[in-house]
Formats: sequence, structure tokens, C-alpha cells
Amino acid sequence: MSIDMSQFYEVFFDESDELLAEAEHLLLGLDIQSPDMEDLNAIFRAAHSIKGGAATFGMMDMAEITHVLENLLDKIRKQEMALTAEHVDAFLAAKDVLKMQLDGHRLATAVDPEQVADVTMMLKGLSEGVAIAPVPTLTAPVAAPAAVVSAMPPAAPGLTRFCLDLPVLNERDDRNLRDELGLLGSVSQHVLADGRSQWLLDTDSSADDILSICSFVIDVDQMRVSREDMPALEAVAAAAQHDIEVGLEARADTKSKSGVEVQEEVGYGLFETLEQDKVEEGYGFFAPFTPHPDAVVTTMIGDETPLPAAVEAAQRTTRQPEKNTEISTQKSTDKLSDKPVKKDNEKAASTAETTSIRVGVEKVDQLINLVGELVITQAMIEQRIAALDPVQHERLINSAGQLMRNTRDLQEAVMSIRMMPMDFVFSRFPRMVRDLAGKLGKKVELVTQGASTELDKGLIERIVDPLTHLVRNSVDHGIELPEQRRARGKSETGQLTLSAAHKGGSIVIEVTDDGAGLNRERLLAKAQQNGLPVSENMSDAEVYQLIFAPGFSTAEAVTDVSGRGVGMDVVKRNITAMNGTVEIRSVPGLGTTISIALPLTLAILDGMSVSLGSNIYVIPLNLIVETLQPRAQDIKTVTGEGRMVHVRGEYLPIIALHSLFNHDTDITDPTQGVLVLIEAEGRKSALFVDGLVGQQQVVIKSLETNYRRVRGISGATIMGDGSVALILDVPAIIQMGQSHNYITGAAAYASRPPQTKEYTQ
Amino acid sequence: MTATSMATAASTTPSVAGEYLTFVLGEESYGIEILKVQEIRGYDTVTKIANTPAFIKGVVNLRGRIVPIVDLRIKFNLGKIEYDEFTVVIILNLGGRVVGIVVDGVSDVMALQQEHIRNVPELVSSIDTQYILGLATVEERMLILVDIERLMGSQEMELLDSVTVH
Repeated sequence: MSIDMSQFYEVFFDESDELLAEAEHLLLGLDIQSPDMEDLNAIFRAAHSIKGGAATFGMMDMAEITHVLENLLDKIRKQEMALTAEHVDAFLAAKDVLKMQLDGHRLATAVDPEQVADVTMMLKGLSEGVAIAPVPTLTAPVAAPAAVVSAMPPAAPGLTRFCLDLPVLNERDDRNLRDELGLLGSVSQHVLADGRSQWLLDTDSSADDILSICSFVIDVDQMRVSREDMPALEAVAAAAQHDIEVGLEARADTKSKSGVEVQEEVGYGLFETLEQDKVEEGYGFFAPFTPHPDAVVTTMIGDETPLPAAVEAAQRTTRQPEKNTEISTQKSTDKLSDKPVKKDNEKAASTAETTSIRVGVEKVDQLINLVGELVITQAMIEQRIAALDPVQHERLINSAGQLMRNTRDLQEAVMSIRMMPMDFVFSRFPRMVRDLAGKLGKKVELVTQGASTELDKGLIERIVDPLTHLVRNSVDHGIELPEQRRARGKSETGQLTLSAAHKGGSIVIEVTDDGAGLNRERLLAKAQQNGLPVSENMSDAEVYQLIFAPGFSTAEAVTDVSGRGVGMDVVKRNITAMNGTVEIRSVPGLGTTISIALPLTLAILDGMSVSLGSNIYVIPLNLIVETLQPRAQDIKTVTGEGRMVHVRGEYLPIIALHSLFNHDTDITDPTQGVLVLIEAEGRKSALFVDGLVGQQQVVIKSLETNYRRVRGISGATIMGDGSVALILDVPAIIQMGQSHNYITGAAAYASRPPQTKEYTQ
Repeated sequence: MTATSMATAASTTPSVAGEYLTFVLGEESYGIEILKVQEIRGYDTVTKIANTPAFIKGVVNLRGRIVPIVDLRIKFNLGKIEYDEFTVVIILNLGGRVVGIVVDGVSDVMALQQEHIRNVPELVSSIDTQYILGLATVEERMLILVDIERLMGSQEMELLDSVTVH
């Protein structure tokens, strides 16, 4: 039978990618003075998993470097070596090399052998630098196994002592096994009379970890892992042990059998049904599971107070989500919640990962399209039903109501598939900022806020490049050198903040630095030099927008980081293409904020339908502040022209849609129609339409597919009756409203020769 | 289909022989390549788009697609501009873009040989002669063969972004 290995490769590549990203994330978060052991362990585990996978798939280059990395990490983890900044740098470099190698295997990209050699040397050098530190437990005296338990000092707090019964080992296996187990904790070993060994291992890992480590070297069926408890608790522990023995240990009668026999017979316990223990070891999948409630409870009660280490071990065992489902009783879950919140979250996150599936984006998109069509159909039914007699058709109407709710839920669920947290984007910046700051000799602290804010996957992917550019710019041009900062009375370390938040129907992503800010004079001078139309009267916001002009850079020197003036225009273009806007706020000497506002999703919109003559228009609901029917005394004019409405102390300009769009309508007096107060880009206006029709979700269809952009229209949608309604582009409408002359009634288009293209933007 | 039709339009010396859908605008007969026609349907209510030229009637929903409708009678200043149950819309598929044109009536599908087709003399009309592939004589009537893809993609039709912006 041939097996398609490629799918396994893919899984390994994906997994390694994730592990590397996670390791990098943890490395960057490490506090060098007092590293969190949990983090170090996680980094170690990542390296170890990659090593195992790489070796399995014959990628020896990766296995080799992870091995060296693992050794060094292990020393730090066991606190034989203090963590220094060099270590972190070396680890990061190793991560890069691994990524390069991974891409080399995956995409056949070039791998720089020199870089690999350099990093390997660096890691080895660092590893040997303190190799003199002795590993005391390895040289523990050989003693009779019976005496061991009591003779050995008790395991340190937080560690659990495991007793490993091993078969006869040859010298090479013995050495390898000792090395491997040495990574988990301190090992002491004893040889029994018949040549088998019994090892004691003090570790904070679980029995599962030990078994998986051992499986690299020997057949785990031939070994037995059991937890050693304090003598006083031996009685309870015996029961507890029964549960904690997760290994596929050979039976007590193994002695009488040869290793080969056992191996054949056990078959990893998957097919054996006669022995209860083995059934459990088959992860409970193959036979009805008989729980051991007594054992669990005993363990918890017995170990709770006197032996925190044992409790932790038990918890660790229970936290192996796939393998120990049978012990995850309510009791142990309660225990888990006692752990610090952070770890809980991490665990939850990792559990979520294991239960996810990978699906092609095109499948999801197809689903979204289908749901879109369903929403249209549902709206159609709803409209037909509205015409029916509610008494006679009560049941039909009720069913239709249920259909509406279900459709809406379905739509939300489907849309949420495409949503991804901003963390996906943000997580790549700590490393970049760190490297950039190092290269430029600056001190920068990166703060991220709202990383869990969700955004459509399509937008997430497209925001990466612009955001990278902005961050790079902020570090390069925004934040000053430490000396300059000190001279200005600021802390030497500059702060760069990345934030994401929902605001109305859009998501606002901001890059804020506390650097020098934008220099208005220099921008103006530069713009003049570049022949851009500028004047001294321009507002700050307008001046700042100049940096988005193509080829515009005020940097005195072009660095390899930025300053060539290419890019900001691309940033602006990319964001505009996503229906987003960019805004710059800056205070000289205090910093700059670049604020990007993006729509949440591209496909569906909550809209308010309004009528205008015989036409229906849809206004995005999130841009509507309120709707009102004005009283005559609220309508004011300025020089008899610009009409305004007085709402709650505010004077808002009235934009008459019929006049703006040259539509025929009988309603030309605002008091007979409806004013829809709209707000976009910080500006409010009152849109004057004939009346409100209703509120509904609409599927956005592009006008541009078969036609072209129309100013004031952001798209179209299909209404319940099959007709087309146009969706208003509120920001453009507000802008158009300001340049529209109401007295002549001349619309933007009609006032110009028909062949001009001004209305096409 | 679209690939071949685009190739025909793009070639410098197009062979204009082929099958044509003929339609009537006022007193004149026109022909367009049959391969560019997706379907023929009646005139439905259109949704007017603000601030567009008069010959762009608006957009309709064609099985979930938003399709613009152009009234060639207005564009060419021909015929009586009436919309009734006999008004016909020819839906064209031009390289993936779907556009509808309103005409007075559809007549026939004709196979034309190269020898039936004459070149267009220089003249003044409301469409540039560059959009006319040639003239054919069929049963004493003159048939104007229109390069509909070039015409619809042209700047004066204002149907495309790329052309109108530049």
C-alpha cells in the first residue's frame, strides 16, 4: 500500500510554521532577568516537536539545528545557565534559519548554508560556554532499588518523581535515553540483577511526555513508568497510580516474556480488549470505558494539601486533552480553574487549535455567496408575505419569521468563519520592530491593543503590507534616537502603539508613535519643491495628507529601511481599495498617529432603505445617526441659500438627494419628507429624502463588475421584489453636498459639459 | 466564446465574415456578431443611476448580476424612444462584462461571407466609423455591422472606469 506522504509533509510544514511563530512570540516576550519557566518550556517543546518531525521526514538539516538549539534551551530551562540577551538573539537567529530551511523544503527556496553554519556555531558556542556546570543527579550512586525511594531526597517542589522500569538496554540506547530524559529533568539510575534498569526521574513533565521521549530510543511497550509518591501516601498513591499510569506498560508478567512477544501481543493496545488498562490506553475509543471515580477522587483528596507536586502532576495528566479524557471529571476541571488565568487562556487557545480544521478559502467564499443568495430569497418571501392577510395566514407568517431568524443566524455564523483576530497581523511586528530598532540604534517599545478585534480574512491579508510600511516608517522617521529623545526630555525608549478597535461599522487600526511628529513647514517646503499645489492656508490635516503623494519623502537620508518616498502612496492606495480611509494626527514633538478605518466586511450590509420618487436607495445603517421629520422653524438658511436644520443645538447642512441626483420627486420641502442624519469621517449632514421604507440586510453587489464607479454610489443590491437598489456612498454624498448649489438646483453633473469625467472620481 | 470574440476584436485585419444578429434602430438595420450575444429579453423596469448620460438607462437585476442597460436609440438619435412590451433588450457578453442594449426590434440571424461586405466610406455620423466593421447588402437593405465590443468599450459610452478616468 502506498501512502501519499505529501499530505503529512503539509501538516508538518504548517505545524512547524505555527510552532516557529509561537516560539518567536514567546522569545520576544521573555523577561531576560527572570524568564517565565512556563514560556521557556513552551519554547523548548516547540523546538523539540520540530526536531522530532524533521527527523521523521528526513530533514536532517533542521533536525540538526533544532538539536543544538534544544540542548542550549534545556540548560537555560534547568537554570544551569542564566538567560542573556545573546541567547535570545541566537534563538531568534535560529528561528530564522529554521524558517529558511522549512521554506527550502517546502517551496524549494534557497537556503544559505553559511547562515546555517553561523547560527549552529553560535548556538554551540553558547551551549559550551557554560557546559562546565555539572549535572549532579546524573552521577547519583547506584543503590538497590528498594532503597532508592527512601534514600533519595524527595523531589523538589513542583517536580514529580517518576520511576521508570526499563528493559535490558545496550550501551548506545542507554546513553541516548539518558540524554533524552536529561532534557526533562534530573535522572538517576540503578541496574537490577537481571540486567534491567530502574531509573528515577525528577521532572515537571507528565508520564506521557516521558513516554514520548523514550519512544525515540526504545520500544515503550517494554517499559513502565510509574509515579513515585511519598511513602506516607503510598496506600492512596497505589490507587492513584493506577490512573496515572498512562503508558502502554507491559503487564506485570512481562518478566516471563521476551520483548518481542510483548510487542506483538500488545499492538499498541488498540486491538486488545481483555485487559481494562489497555482499553484505557487505547484512549477509550475501542471499548466501553469503565471509569475509576474512586481512584480519581482519592488522588485529588489525598494529594491536595500535602503534595502540591503530585496534584500538579495529576493535573498535567488530565490536561493532556486527547489522551486522558477519562480522568477529566468535574473535580479535576475545577482544579484547573485554580491555575492563573493566563495559563488557562493559553490552554484554551491550544485546545481551540487542535479542534480546528483547514478549509480552502474558495469553499468558504462559495458558502458566503450562497448564504447571500439565501438572504435575498428570504427577503423576497418576507415581502410577498407582508401582502397577505395576517389572520388567515398566521401560521405561514410565523414560519416565515422563524426562517428570517434562522437565515440571519446562519448568515452571521458564516460571516464569522472569515473573521480573524488582528493578532494575526500584529504578531509579526514585535520581531520587526526589535530588529529595526536594533539596526537604527533606537530603543522602541511596542505596545499592541485590541489584538483580539476581528476582521474579515480578506482584509486582514491586505492590511499586512500597508501596516508593515507604517510601522517601519514610525520606527525610522517617527521615533528619535535615544540622545535626541533625552535632549527633548522624553524617555530614551520610544513607544510605538498598534491598536485595533471597532468603531461603528468599521474597524479602526492605529499606529501611534511618541516621536518627533510631522513637521508642517518641512512638508510644505518639500511639496513646493516637488511641484505639488500647496498653500500656507492649508489645514494641518491637509498638509499631513501630502505624505501620501507619490515620491514624497522628507527624510534627510535614504536608509535601507525607508525614506525613498515610495510606499506611502501605495499605502494610501491599498487602503482606499479596501474602502478604507487614512487619517493622520500629529503634534510636533509629541508624536504621530496614523489611523486607518476599514469596513468590517465586504459582502453584507445592514441598511436603511429610503424612497426618492420611484426609486429606492439604501443607506448603510452604521452611518445613520438618527432620522427625523423637521418642523418648519428648524429649517434655517444662510444668505438665503445653504439650508440647514437645527437639531439639538447643532446646525447641520441639508443635502437634498433629489437635487444631488437630479431625480424627479413631488417632495421638495424638507418638512414633508424625512431627514436622515448621516455621519462619516467626522462630518455630519442631514440627507433629505422622501421617506423611509424599512431596515434590512442587503448583499452588496458591485456596480463595477459590469459598469463603473459612480460618484455617490458605493454599490448595488437586489431587493425583495427582484429590483435593483443603489447603496449610497455616504462620505462621498457629504462631500458632494458641500459643493452643490441648491438655489440653481444644478447637480454636480448637469452643471458641467456632459463629456467631462469629474463625477467618476 | 469570449476568448475567441476578444481575439477577433483584437486582430488588426479582422475577418468580418460570420454570423450576425440583426436588429432595427428606427429606419436602419444593424448587425452584431452573434457570439457576443448572451440572450434577448424584454424591457424591464431599470434602476436609474444618478448623473449619468441619458442613453444609460440604469441597471437591472439579471439573475443576481447587476447589469447596465444602454439605449442605443438615444445614443444614435434614432427611432422613437418608447418603452412597451415590444421593446427588446439584447444582453451582450463582452469579454466577461455583461451589458444590455435597448433596440427597436430584433430581425434575424444571418451568415455573411466576406464578399458581401463592403468597407465604410468616410462620413459623418453619430458613431465614429472606426466602430463600424463594414456594410453589407441583404435583400436591398443595408446592414451596418457594428464592432459592438469596441463601441461598448469606448470612451464615449462611459461604461468603463479605465476609459473614462483617462
